[in-house]
Amino acid sequence: MKKRFPSWTLGLVGILLLILVPVLYFLPRAQAKNDPASYIPEKPVHVDHTDIVQGEFKTGQDVTRACLECHEDAAAQMMATTHWTWESKEFNVPWRDEPVTIGKANQINNFCIGSQGNEVTCTSCHAGYGWEQGRETQQANPENVDCLACHADMGVYGKSKYGNPAESVDLLAAARSVRTPTRENCGKCHFDGGGGNGVKHGDLDESLYFPSESLDVHMGGENDMQCVDCHWTEDHQILGRMVADNYTIDPKEQVSCEECHINQQHEDERINTHLASVACQTCHVPALALEDPTKITWDWSQAGQEGREDDHFTYLKIKGEFVYDKDFAPTYLWFNGNNEYRYILGDPLGKDGVTYINKPAGSIDDQNAKIFPFKLHVAKQPYDVKNNYLLQPVTSGEGGFWTTFDWNSAFELAQEKIGLDYSGEYGFATTYMYWPTTHMVQPANEALQCESCHGENGRMDWEVLGYPGDPIEWGGR
Amino acid sequence: MKKYTLITLVGLTILALAFGINAVLAAPEPVPASQASVLHPDFALLDANGVNVLESNGAVSTIQTCGQCHDTEFIVSHAFHSDLGLNAYNGNSETLNSSSGLFGEWDPMTYRFLSPAGDERLDLSTAEWLMLNGARIVGGGPAETSRNGKDLTNLSPNKADPETAILNEDSSVSAWQWDESGTMEMNCFLCHLETPNNEARVEAIQSGEFGNATTATLLGLNIVSEADGAWSYNTEAFNAETGELKNDLLGIQDPTNQNCAACHGEVHATEEPLTFNACDLDYPQTATTGQVVSAQSINDSGVNLANKNELDRSWDVHAERQLQCTDCHYALNNPSHASELQSSNPEHLVYDPRSLEIGEYLERPDHNFARGESAQFNVAPEYKGTMRRCENCHDASKGHADWLPYIDTHMEALACETCHIPQMYAPAIQSYDWTVITTDGSAVENCRGIEGTPNDVTSLVTGYEPVLLNRTNVDGDTMLAPYNLITSFYWVYDDASGNARPVRQIDLEAVYLENGKYAADIVTAFDANGDSQLSSDELTIDSSAKEEAVKAKLTALGLDNVRIEGMVQPYSINHNVTKGEYAVNDCKACHGADSRVAQSIKLADSAPVMPVFDGNNNVNGTGEIVKGEDGALYYQPAPANDKMYVFGSSRVNWIDWFGALAFAGSLLGVIGHGTMRMFAARKQPKGAVRTERVYMYEPYRRFWHWLQTFTIVLLLFTGLIIHRADIFGAFSFRGIVTVHNVLGIILVINAALSLFYHITTDKIREFIPHPYGFFDDAIVQAKYYINGIFKGEGHPFEKLPTSRMNPIQKATYFAILNVLLPLQIITGVLMWAVQKWPEIAGGLPFLAPFHSLVAWLFGTFIVVHVYMTTTGATPLEAMRAMVTGYEEVEKHEPHEEAKKVKKEKK
Repeated sequence: MKKRFPSWTLGLVGILLLILVPVLYFLPRAQAKNDPASYIPEKPVHVDHTDIVQGEFKTGQDVTRACLECHEDAAAQMMATTHWTWESKEFNVPWRDEPVTIGKANQINNFCIGSQGNEVTCTSCHAGYGWEQGRETQQANPENVDCLACHADMGVYGKSKYGNPAESVDLLAAARSVRTPTRENCGKCHFDGGGGNGVKHGDLDESLYFPSESLDVHMGGENDMQCVDCHWTEDHQILGRMVADNYTIDPKEQVSCEECHINQQHEDERINTHLASVACQTCHVPALALEDPTKITWDWSQAGQEGREDDHFTYLKIKGEFVYDKDFAPTYLWFNGNNEYRYILGDPLGKDGVTYINKPAGSIDDQNAKIFPFKLHVAKQPYDVKNNYLLQPVTSGEGGFWTTFDWNSAFELAQEKIGLDYSGEYGFATTYMYWPTTHMVQPANEALQCESCHGENGRMDWEVLGYPGDPIEWGGR
Repeated sequence: MKKYTLITLVGLTILALAFGINAVLAAPEPVPASQASVLHPDFALLDANGVNVLESNGAVSTIQTCGQCHDTEFIVSHAFHSDLGLNAYNGNSETLNSSSGLFGEWDPMTYRFLSPAGDERLDLSTAEWLMLNGARIVGGGPAETSRNGKDLTNLSPNKADPETAILNEDSSVSAWQWDESGTMEMNCFLCHLETPNNEARVEAIQSGEFGNATTATLLGLNIVSEADGAWSYNTEAFNAETGELKNDLLGIQDPTNQNCAACHGEVHATEEPLTFNACDLDYPQTATTGQVVSAQSINDSGVNLANKNELDRSWDVHAERQLQCTDCHYALNNPSHASELQSSNPEHLVYDPRSLEIGEYLERPDHNFARGESAQFNVAPEYKGTMRRCENCHDASKGHADWLPYIDTHMEALACETCHIPQMYAPAIQSYDWTVITTDGSAVENCRGIEGTPNDVTSLVTGYEPVLLNRTNVDGDTMLAPYNLITSFYWVYDDASGNARPVRQIDLEAVYLENGKYAADIVTAFDANGDSQLSSDELTIDSSAKEEAVKAKLTALGLDNVRIEGMVQPYSINHNVTKGEYAVNDCKACHGADSRVAQSIKLADSAPVMPVFDGNNNVNGTGEIVKGEDGALYYQPAPANDKMYVFGSSRVNWIDWFGALAFAGSLLGVIGHGTMRMFAARKQPKGAVRTERVYMYEPYRRFWHWLQTFTIVLLLFTGLIIHRADIFGAFSFRGIVTVHNVLGIILVINAALSLFYHITTDKIREFIPHPYGFFDDAIVQAKYYINGIFKGEGHPFEKLPTSRMNPIQKATYFAILNVLLPLQIITGVLMWAVQKWPEIAGGLPFLAPFHSLVAWLFGTFIVVHVYMTTTGATPLEAMRAMVTGYEEVEKHEPHEEAKKVKKEKK
């Protein structure tokens, strides 16, 4: 019988193996690149709803009903999120005997102060309809969930009073445009929070609708990342928590750079030694409000002046005086991801002339803390002189400050609506609110360099951070 | 108090304390921390007599003032910055260099010549030398002391003595009154104040008021002011009770980079976009090399730099990393650099506690600073190589471990700067032509690395790639390092004693200029386009007519043997280091066609004379100075002259020619032979030869043969790629080197095992030619190849499993296995060993060409060997046998002649 392969082929294979195996073993090869972009989640294939959605829709609730016919669980899922409740889970805080919740629904900030009593306008950024029904009724009804706020093309959809669709909106067209949320959906509220473009965050504003790579390396450039590429969503629960509206945050609930930049070290060993005490953002978000300015101070005590000319960036009669700034260095604090303090309605004012709306937790001795960049927003906002706590005025709507320009009536109205006692005497207190900055990330060549922090002209105040001196000379922690 | 209130309060208090100061705005402006030492006490300012200046209103004496606590005498006597070569001054008037320092070493760029005593024509007297170099002189040394060690103030004015004379503008000479001008003490303030007034200091020096220079350094600090030539001290700056100066006004500090910059070159430490003064000898380090010390990113600078946006690296990585000049150039007895001092300990002594205490150091700090081995600074050569160099901080074997093969070899041959300063981004001086002068009496200067006039905002800075030259370190090692080359041309004459002297600037002005304009006869001689103006193109000596015209006028001034000379001087580049990712890190940058190692550099656009390479330094100018087709002058490095062999770039031409000829010759030979056989075969009747199937090659023979075949062919191929990396651009140089090495090891193992097999089985005998009758047999075999093979005759020797080779084969294999193969293995192994022992067996410059030569011979052998296999029963029969083991061999009576031979033997 003739063999299928002559025996010498075996020898040939052996010879080739003898050569190839060692050569391939010793051949220098490039380290396998750990490509962060490969972790960007793949989105489900878009289903065009143009032919599925039929209408006709008279109200937002009509649209939601249609959505729920197929997406049966969507409303229930949505109603379990803070986007719906505007309130955090319960926290036990050391300065209160009872657990507290924090959120737009029940607490204040140092921008527009609070939404309670101001639902008519504030809820234009709520993912729900029907706030004219009152909070309890509104919250109980799944049909009030506003699917379109997050899923419609923002070119054909918009919201107005009490969270309802703006009158000019063609609800059928809006409903047919639904898709995975884009930066336009998120940006509508998160870029314009606090009453206008770039007011609140130093790192989120309308410049991110069409960002260049130099503005944000993730959202600009080839990856064109959308918010939901990092803020991964499961059953409408969106990853990532706003520290200003929480007390502590489980790291699992937070977005972190390491989700995609896994084991990605800098080529320079010196930079890697920083990672134990410096957050990624500290170097890679070297400046805030790169294109559009953000508000850094807000003085409510100047509001209501007759005859003073309004100017969007410096003074508005209804709001008072502001300072906007752009392309400026953040404030640096040790930060472990939690708040050390969050002002709860009724809390007393700070003793030393500053009341903190929130105060990031962490210190040089806290091994979980890293130096982190913040936007500090300083405000002068009303407080009750006798009761020694911050007040929350009713501003919008009938009888609100924006109509009457009378603070007393605004606080009295608030006492009715919120139940916060007003003694009849108000003043203005300085408050600090810290906003962690994590967007507008810059590529390596635009990140902070050694001399940005170290040396004569460095931007860090080392002694305030708890170091004996510049750690390049005095050593780190 | 409730628990939470307490915690809140404590927290609030801490934060309020921390942030309350910057209460309102978000980003606190960084306040530059004062560098002034808080430790330095207040002290009295004393004059030269040791009297408080508040009483005497005299000039400040640093020797007296600082000498209250510091041993100023020690400091001055241990400071080459002060000495500037005075100690080494030998007064030798036969050469242009009478010292190795600024005081006595002639610099063709600054040009003026410090006249030794007894010179026929006075050029620079000591006083004028001080004025000319004032910006770079710290005081003490030649500013106080005469060449033979006396105080300058003790010299009596004498216009015949260059130490007490001055050359006037009209060429006359006057005496210099040192007691009027005063002398300059070493100026501690210049380097130890935060903001010394260097401008006022230089102005005082340049106007010849040497005694006022130190006090002028304090002007503008609210301490002292000048009115009508007298000093007036601000009493508010002093403590009323003690009469001591308030220290915070001075800001006494360790020298910062800015202090060093005052004399050395451009340093930039603020956030303002960087701009610099290029090709300006007031910033010598920047002018001569383009070195700029700044932490700023190049693309943030204010320089109009080509491709600036892509340059996101800092000007100098060490400045970026916060290093100060003094971190490497430290005071040699500074106890904080004790680890360097301890490096001379005996080996068994790990640490020696007997070092200076900080207090002792502060009293007597050694002001001879640690220094490198640059080509341009030769003062106090005994301190060369004392500095922290790259390897004192960086471990190259670890830093390059992840990518660079042959690390030791690279580090032996290359200074770190060679790769880590790949490009200069500031212009540097290219040439200085003093054979002609401009109307303001200066030389015609040319800059490299810029398109347009230096320091003009519309000029495009391109930067330049330094030339790589071999330098010899003080320890005798040689290595490639980056340099700028500056070429100077100048007129020289012989003075009455026959010593060559540069023609004095004042004489050049007399020749070229009349009332601030070019003299009419000069215009006539130089004006090519007849517009009665001298353009910059015309202002060069490019014809013998021009040369003769100037020469005649110089001779008329009484100068003998006037001639043009030129000199090429290397300037070391050690700063502006960049980190690995921006360094030269592509193998082919050097191992390829346009190798960086052999890259030439332009010396001058035109040359009135061929310059010589300055030998008065540690650089080996073994390359060639050549005139290009464009008329410009180039320096062409010749790595081979420095015993360098760079794979992919270096080669020995005759070996390649010889090898290629041998290879091509054998190829032609076998083609010719084969063609003739083919034609001959047609005439021969076919099938005449009776063959028989024989089991010729057992499996191991076939195995080792083919393994060796594959490895040798691949070795030749990869070797060729390494040898000529320039024509095999598609391959990774580094990968091919690895493959070549691995194949070499496979070949050696295979050869060793095969040898073992042949010895143990006694089959080695087959390969050993029998000396008895060898030549007869060989002649028979050769005759067969020349003649019989064409006639269809059978092979003269029968191929048998026990004796497969004919005599010629045996001889050939004997040579290959005993000569070529061992040679190739030995040279290959030695080339590998060069990593550890660079000089072994002549080093790469010998081994590598040898290895190439043997490789060519191997290639030649393969051609013939393969052809010979076709001479079997059928052309492919032998090859088939080596695959399957069975061969059809001729079964015939031995050839007639062979039979005869055999009979005769019997």
